[in-house]
Amino acid sequence: MSETATAGRRLVELNVNGMSHVGLAEPRTLLSDFLRHDLELTGTHVGCEQGVCGACTVLVDGEPVRSCLTFAVQMEGARIETVEALSADGALHPIQEAFRNTHGLQCGFCTPGFLLTAKALLEENPSPSEAEIREHLSGNVCRCTGYQGIVDAVLEAAANGKDQADEPR
Amino acid sequence: MSPGSGTADVNQQARPARYTGERIKRLEDPRLLMGRARFIDDLGVPGMVHAAFVRSPHPHARIVSIDNRAALALDGVVAVVTGADLAAETAEMEVGAMLNGVEATSRPAIAISKVRHVGDPVAVVVARSPYLAEDGRDLVRVEWEPLPPVPDVGTALADGAPLIDEALETNHVAHGKIEIGDPDGQFETAAHVCRKTFKVGRSTGAPVETRGLLAECDAGSGAITLWTSTQMPHLTRTLLAPMLRVPENKLSVHSPEVGGGFGLKCHIFPEDVAVPAVARRIGRPVKWIEDRWENLSGGVHSKEMDCEVEVALDADGKMLAIRGAFVTDGGAYSSIPYTPLIDSGCAAGMLPSMYDVGHVAAQFDAAYTNKASVGAIRGVGWASGQLARETLLDDAARQVGIDPVELRLRNMLSSEPQKNIMGLSLDGGSYAESLAMARDAIGYEEFRRRQDELRAGGRYLGIGFSPFIEPTGMATASARAAGFDIAYFDSATVTVDPDGTATVSTGLHSHGQGHETTLAQVAADALGFAIEDIRVVFGSSDSQSYGMGTYASRSAVVGSGTIMAAAAQVRARLLELAATLLEADARDIDLAHGVAHVKGAPARGVTVAELAGFGYFGYDARPDDVQESGLTATAAYDPPETYANGTTAAVVEVDPALGTVDLQRLVAVEDCGRMLNPFIVDGQVAGAVAQGVGIALLEDLAYGEDGEFLAGSLMHYLYPSTTELPRYDLLHIETPSSASTGGVKGVGEAGTIAAPAAVVNAISDAISPFGVSIDRVPVTPVYLRDLLRGAGR
Ligand code: FES
Ligand code: FES
Repeated sequence: MSETATAGRRLVELNVNGMSHVGLAEPRTLLSDFLRHDLELTGTHVGCEQGVCGACTVLVDGEPVRSCLTFAVQMEGARIETVEALSADGALHPIQEAFRNTHGLQCGFCTPGFLLTAKALLEENPSPSEAEIREHLSGNVCRCTGYQGIVDAVLEAAANGKDQADEPR
Repeated sequence: MSPGSGTADVNQQARPARYTGERIKRLEDPRLLMGRARFIDDLGVPGMVHAAFVRSPHPHARIVSIDNRAALALDGVVAVVTGADLAAETAEMEVGAMLNGVEATSRPAIAISKVRHVGDPVAVVVARSPYLAEDGRDLVRVEWEPLPPVPDVGTALADGAPLIDEALETNHVAHGKIEIGDPDGQFETAAHVCRKTFKVGRSTGAPVETRGLLAECDAGSGAITLWTSTQMPHLTRTLLAPMLRVPENKLSVHSPEVGGGFGLKCHIFPEDVAVPAVARRIGRPVKWIEDRWENLSGGVHSKEMDCEVEVALDADGKMLAIRGAFVTDGGAYSSIPYTPLIDSGCAAGMLPSMYDVGHVAAQFDAAYTNKASVGAIRGVGWASGQLARETLLDDAARQVGIDPVELRLRNMLSSEPQKNIMGLSLDGGSYAESLAMARDAIGYEEFRRRQDELRAGGRYLGIGFSPFIEPTGMATASARAAGFDIAYFDSATVTVDPDGTATVSTGLHSHGQGHETTLAQVAADALGFAIEDIRVVFGSSDSQSYGMGTYASRSAVVGSGTIMAAAAQVRARLLELAATLLEADARDIDLAHGVAHVKGAPARGVTVAELAGFGYFGYDARPDDVQESGLTATAAYDPPETYANGTTAAVVEVDPALGTVDLQRLVAVEDCGRMLNPFIVDGQVAGAVAQGVGIALLEDLAYGEDGEFLAGSLMHYLYPSTTELPRYDLLHIETPSSASTGGVKGVGEAGTIAAPAAVVNAISDAISPFGVSIDRVPVTPVYLRDLLRGAGR
């Protein structure tokens, strides 16, 4: 047992939020734990470790992925984006701003997962309908908001994104 | 809330005359949105090790032996600690009798001789990393002697049932009865009597963040520092210190950012004793983060109740008498501090709610079973009792042939302040008005027409209403009115700092409610400051502002009362300082948005920065009371009873073949008195309604007949997601409380109390052509299909 517990650590190199990080991970180390504990990127939250709640969602090569269902060693060479990247320059990202405008968060624990899931949606479909938004977000749970503020936030972010796209450059 | 409805950052909009009542965006949001907030699992201290609990896989078993050798042999494991080890260093966890007829109980933090539910802790393994702690946990060998399980109330109360707590002679841990007037006589002679049994399922708060603890012990003084994901730092200190055998001044309890509570995090749990005790024992900081299985199997559960209710009506549908008997499946231990009475006792106390009925009998009981304990989760037993009463009234309306809205309107108390039959001092509301508003908003008459048309085409739509009152601002008066012999203490401290900014500290706690914003609004108005000059702090028992924490919809009322009282004292001193500087009488000074001036002479003003500088460093030029007391004040407030009210209405469509329920509309009318921030009120209502919908349709902490726990993941314990919930209509009536400071009432639980009955009534209405009515929650497709198959049509 002590062998399985400590042996077989591997060097992993990941690109997280535009920076490359090298670390040692056991094969069983979850990506969520690697991000949170080894890289100290604690904005990614863990609500179940059962793949259900979506709080741990990060973007891997642009796609939403549950970091609690992913091993760090599987991510060798991947491009990972966590919530910390959204406001890298210190200002809120338009999606974050929209969440604030619509009271899309209360305790804020589920929020990073929702933000990244919403970002992936808007990149794929810049003007989703309310039903499409609800469908796309249905894999993330929030116990505080009843979702109304979250759905409104994504609608607002989409509308703002559209305004910007329509503006002459 | 629709997007862009005019909510704004205060510093980007014209300053309102008052901040309270404005839709001000939350000040706490940026750090949460940026992933920069610090929750319990984000904290660490040097030398920290990690704990994992060995837990019972059995519902009921004796512990024959615990063999820790293999675990200790694992490289990285630091210690294995059992209940027997901790017994010498900690006191038993005791809960007193809250009422006559309720057993006082006590238990060791970690089971020593027997376990009473799946998930009951029996040992702690401490190791260098969480992974290694779990490896060690899996190597601890416990020899069990399984005992016959007690999986339900029926088994628990049967003669000769196995005893859950062998120190008691019974599993029947609580019994009480209230009788007012002559209900039995009324039932004998009434024109109509309607009866119903209703079974409420087992649910819980299940915040997305589980519980967690980090503890360290100072080797010199023996003082313990505990970081914990709690809703009540001071009360945790008061309750936990004797269990840890430390004086209160040597226990510091800090809560970091807390990822939702819903009542789960306002209890004292075995781990709260075990983790600091282990840290003290091994001389190293210890951290423990609950996993989801532990959270669901070992946290507190709520609302499971067998209800029997009956109503006597005269020929015109006027309620003459109501009787109810409520039995809580209390689980294996009495939760600390609320006991299982928080469910059946609360259901009984609110039996007549806002109805005008002259005769009442209410009985409440709780039994121990081999399940997790029942504690105070959002809506508590009020939600269960509301389900029983409001579904009974819909059955009665069908039986008597009166429209269900009309039946309720005929029986409501007037909205004036008054004492109701249970002795509750209602502080004014909008009982009939809220029901009428919900009826009109949902388009009741039009719905009935459409319902008939669609039924002809084989589609089953239904509508349901659930008017409620919610006891809020829980404190001594409201607890005593509800029959609980307990007392509260809450205070706030308002301090103006030398530069003219203000710090407000409170013993309340925010875990999603936005207190940094709402309480700043209250303080800014009370002081006459700009809101950006206010900072609200909480979350540490080291703060001098003792308070009981945040739960039971208490913080708007308690926060307003404490902060306004403390701020008034400081403001009076600021006015005197201004009077001295402006050479005027203090009564002639105006102080608003951070500037003081003589009334009618706004040109010559002094800023609060100047006032504060003078107040701190003006030596003997300052008024006497500033010299004696400075610019800080602490005030306590123990509010009178306050009751929010409202009505929730729902429209559903039932597919009789599949047994599925499509929730199509939900209207929530809320009257929580004066609103501090309608933006946040809407959020509280929306979130509470979602939990109520979960109780009605989804949430079920199921146990097998053998006592096995069947709901240990969020795949099994389902709560609503975006696709099960409709867009809600959130409407407000604002009837100021006649009793509380500022006319404020609380709002946190209303949706959870009211929504389940609205949804269930809508389902029963939809399936009324089948001649059956819903008698349990959750209304799962299997249950509904079986009910409809058994029904004739
Ligand atoms: S923590 Fe990964 S889905 Fe819940
Ligand atoms: S804001 Fe608390 S879980 Fe979503």
